[in-house]
Amino acid sequence: MVRVIATRVVRLVATLLAVTFLTFTMLEFLPGDPVNAILPPNAVRTPELIAQVRADLNLDDPFFQRYFAWLGDALTGDLGQSYVTDQEVSEIITSRLPITLQLAVMGILLALILAVPIGILGAYKQGKWQDTVTSAGVQVGLSVPNFIFGIFLIWLFAVNLQWLPASNWNRLSDGLVDNLKTAILPASALALTQMAIFSRLVRADMIGTLQENYILSARAKGLSNRFILFRHALRPSSLSLMTIVGINFGALLGGTVIIETLFAVPGIGFRLINAINQRDILVIQGITVFIAASYVLINTLVDLLYSALDPRIRRS
Amino acid sequence: MTSRRTRRLLAVPLALGLLVAACGSDDDDDGGEGTTATTAADSEPDTTEPETESTDAEPDTTEAPDGDGDADEAEGDVDTDIEADVESVRSFGGDIVIGVEAEATGLRPWEDACAEPCLVLHRAIFDQLVEQAADGTYQPWLAESITPNDDFTVWTVMLRPDVTFTDGTPLTAQTVADMFPIQQAGAVTAGLIAGAGLETVEATGDLEVTYTLSSPNSAFPAVLANATGRVFEPAAAAADPDGFSTNPVGTGPFVVDSRDLDNETVLVRNDNYWLVDSEGQQLPYLDSVSVRPIPDEGTRLDAQLSGTIDVMQTLRQGTIRDARDAGGDFTLLEFQGSNTGGGMFNTALPPYDDVRVRRGLILMNNQEAVIEALGGTGISQQTTQWFSADSPWYSQAVADAWPDFDFDAGVASITEYINDPARSDGKAPGEPIDVELSCPPDPTLIAAMQVIEQVWSGSGVVNVNLTQFDQATHINNALTDIHQAHCWRWSSDQDPSISINPFVAPPEASPVNFPNYYNQEWFDAAQAAIQTDDFDERKALYESIMLGLAEEFPIWYSGGTATLLMTDPEIKGINGWLLPSGDLGVGFPGAAPRLQETWVEQ
Repeated sequence: MVRVIATRVVRLVATLLAVTFLTFTMLEFLPGDPVNAILPPNAVRTPELIAQVRADLNLDDPFFQRYFAWLGDALTGDLGQSYVTDQEVSEIITSRLPITLQLAVMGILLALILAVPIGILGAYKQGKWQDTVTSAGVQVGLSVPNFIFGIFLIWLFAVNLQWLPASNWNRLSDGLVDNLKTAILPASALALTQMAIFSRLVRADMIGTLQENYILSARAKGLSNRFILFRHALRPSSLSLMTIVGINFGALLGGTVIIETLFAVPGIGFRLINAINQRDILVIQGITVFIAASYVLINTLVDLLYSALDPRIRRS
Repeated sequence: MTSRRTRRLLAVPLALGLLVAACGSDDDDDGGEGTTATTAADSEPDTTEPETESTDAEPDTTEAPDGDGDADEAEGDVDTDIEADVESVRSFGGDIVIGVEAEATGLRPWEDACAEPCLVLHRAIFDQLVEQAADGTYQPWLAESITPNDDFTVWTVMLRPDVTFTDGTPLTAQTVADMFPIQQAGAVTAGLIAGAGLETVEATGDLEVTYTLSSPNSAFPAVLANATGRVFEPAAAAADPDGFSTNPVGTGPFVVDSRDLDNETVLVRNDNYWLVDSEGQQLPYLDSVSVRPIPDEGTRLDAQLSGTIDVMQTLRQGTIRDARDAGGDFTLLEFQGSNTGGGMFNTALPPYDDVRVRRGLILMNNQEAVIEALGGTGISQQTTQWFSADSPWYSQAVADAWPDFDFDAGVASITEYINDPARSDGKAPGEPIDVELSCPPDPTLIAAMQVIEQVWSGSGVVNVNLTQFDQATHINNALTDIHQAHCWRWSSDQDPSISINPFVAPPEASPVNFPNYYNQEWFDAAQAAIQTDDFDERKALYESIMLGLAEEFPIWYSGGTATLLMTDPEIKGINGWLLPSGDLGVGFPGAAPRLQETWVEQ
């Protein structure tokens, strides 16, 4: 197990290095002088000022020198400072991470709450009308982009029914109920695609599991269908579900960008979009690397957990 | 080096005033529709008085049509006229939520660039020495009077007594003088100060401030009606410049209660605000204002329709159209001033150095189609000059002189150039000209540019290459002459001198002469216009420049900039606030409201 962990950690470090390098390189090749982005549009662009900005940010240093300097700072937690708001990038991330995490967690939970029963129903009623209906619904969930679903939710629950606000994020410190009122629509928009993916996975796994001998044996013993489905069949089918939940959770941290922008939720994704619009390069770099690192880290943890739970994988 | 620095400094006012930002005009651009000549209340000599034709008959505020089919009724009602609400009963209290299109990145008047979404906050937190009236004149606000000397090089400002900042510090002449070094070093105000030729600001009495200029400027009050005249507490600013951005100290009607960047800024009533209403009641009426950035246009409109917010700001014609069509009981406060979209040619480069090319391209610029592509039919108006039709500076002669869309005439003009063996671009006779058309990557600008590209390319005499750079790079390309056909915004509702004078100065002395076109007569006219306070004389001088633009074509137009504030019907006073003199204020130019006299009808 130690060897497995060591291998994964080495891969993790290598992947993170590649991510930071690629991010740094891509931003390097964006058109235009970064100084133009750093200075306000109406700043007095004297040659002295431009030279000073370049010197302050080491923009005249060679590419690799700047990369390793940034990397060295990043390893100590110093991701630099926003050119626009003067905030520390690490502070920007930590202040917004709880919001994005909340949306991602709520999105995953909502998706699971819907996906597991739908998947089980589809498997149990395979080929029957219930399966056809749920499969069609799942297909819609896979086909519709989540921001389109978000627009539909706003139209239905905010504009027409007026049950929930269209935007105006409330933090948890404003009260749980107020927070949930503003979180439920963006979380639901995020959940749609996840629900579709999860339910298809559950259905496929369950169909296989329900054909196992021990299920036939359980049926022969006269156990109830509910007991067989939830106690005997669901558990072995949940290993792959757990994996995909982990991977998708990591992806959701970066995938909330559009939904956060649509609902004006002040999470990491919203800040990233604003930073891109403002060419706030250190913020773009910091958030991108953070999202990538989170994704890689979560994947690694899922791999390790998977290995720990399934001895066959560990041995292989 | 000094000369270069000076040129750079001079660049700044127009880099704001002429900013190509799709999201609207910048800090310099705020101001009212119509007249912009300066006045000095209770002072001699008076500065120029404008004609007052801008105060047209004042129909009621446009009400959103109920249901389908009535939207056409609103078409053509581009502006909502400014009028005091004398029917509603003014009441104290109430909290409103305003949805704006973007977050204000900072609240430092001297340092943070501030477009319309940000101005909602700045105007609530800070007062200006001068404000614009509905008739376009400039009147004292925090100042009690503004008096020039005979040649308009020294301006004496008397401050109002008994005004305090929200931290309790009294406003004195020394306060204003102490702001000046901070402003001179500020990213925003340094350029404005240099452009105005403002050399010193001295406290010459407890409440008397003397501004000394390097050259005459009869329109100087207009300078004090923007960021240069926005009063902040200098000691607090110097003590913690970064902290000031989130905890600013001004004299305005509201004070920041909390600021959650990208989410919500809550302003609460300044209980010690100096201004009273016409009945002597202390302003402001509202208890609090919450400002929410909601970048998605559709979500912001839905938030308004669903009651999530009480006031919605938009700078997009398409959203204005959707708001008109939405139905429901809302008030639509629309504004279209002198700011206009368009672009410019770098006349220092071939083939744009030949007027036949410039004329031909402009004749093939179909403004109507561009406006339609932006969803602005019936909302935005075609433009022919730097003044909207309801501005006292507007010239019918210029409107008549500016050519209408005429595709065949455009082709003919360019064909004449390309068949000329001595054509300036060095290509063989008969070959199409190459045009690089550049815009920032904003969806609406791209839509507009695509229309122009299609028409120009369809002529068979123009090869068009569309390029896009982020806004900062786009602006810098114009400032550093790395541009050819470059989309841009022109003009504002401020005094014409703010935007026109640097624009017509020699290119080697003024980087904001973006087209690099110099005409000595235009320059002389612009200089003469700031040495007199006679409105008719000034108008004639600026008209002569506009007529020159209609002959030489260094720039083109693509339609006026329409903006909208959509409010719940019980919210009153946004379009009818008063100046201390009792005159109507400028209203809500650029959908950036002043909220000191806004109330919620009970």
